Amino acid sequence: MIRHRGGDRGQVGGIEVLPFGLLVFVVGTLLVANAWAVVDAKLAVDAAAREAARHFVEADVPAAGDFGDAEAAALRAGYEALAAHGRGEERSSVELTGLESPAGRAGFTRCARATFTARYDVPVLRLPWVGGFGSGLDVTSRHSELIDPYRDGVPGSAEACS
Amino acid sequence: MLMPAGLLIVLVLASIAVDMSLVHLRKRQAFELAAAAANDAATAGVDQGRLRTTHDYVLDPERTRAVVADVVAASELAPELARPPVVTVTAAGVRVELALEADYIFADVVPGAPDGTEVTASATATAVPTP
Repeated sequence: MIRHRGGDRGQVGGIEVLPFGLLVFVVGTLLVANAWAVVDAKLAVDAAAREAARHFVEADVPAAGDFGDAEAAALRAGYEALAAHGRGEERSSVELTGLESPAGRAGFTRCARATFTARYDVPVLRLPWVGGFGSGLDVTSRHSELIDPYRDGVPGSAEACS
Repeated sequence: MLMPAGLLIVLVLASIAVDMSLVHLRKRQAFELAAAAANDAATAGVDQGRLRTTHDYVLDPERTRAVVADVVAASELAPELARPPVVTVTAAGVRVELALEADYIFADVVPGAPDGTEVTASATATAVPTP
């Protein structure tokens, strides 16, 4: 007795597409995760640049050229803001990138504009418990503030501000 | 058939979440810029002549607007401004209103969907003498 089996056409139809579907899902997930990582890093560097600038312009300094301690405290505040967002120092930097008075001189004087820049290197791939891999996007934020022209603890006169 | 649809839905929802978080980020940046501009203008915009002669805290409107314009121009967000900042000077202080463009990342790929949105923020500042 001969049994007639059906053909195998359509038996595994579409199964070869599954790896491609999975690949699209993995790539899509990585794309969305990276986009989110950049947005999250931007929030962190924004906060770091702002905190550093606020600390610096509120500091008391003995002389216009003697602002090293104020700068160090401001940088520390910036790194602490990054740490509060879960960002380590090894991939980040906070620096004073501008300090210019209305007269064009560099120094801690009344009405001088202090600009701080914070950077964070977002890894290409970040895995839970394992950490980040690769050097991805460099996320940067810049924040500037004026040193108050009328408060105590700032060398010089406010007349140059007008 | 349900599995591919499920994966697609997950990706679309994640994309929407990223775009919305981008709008939230831009909103926070707008608030910070408005606050920084108002804070600087509240002291740097003071009419120094009146302060020194009569000890009155009065803001010079022209100078206050110039300070706000300088702060905004020095910011990295200057190219994202939807329109020039609105500066209102009152006897109590200064109020700064800003509008920034927030561009979507993923919504661009959907035909007919908007490319972005506009976020607004305002901040008020005044100078208070220390006791």
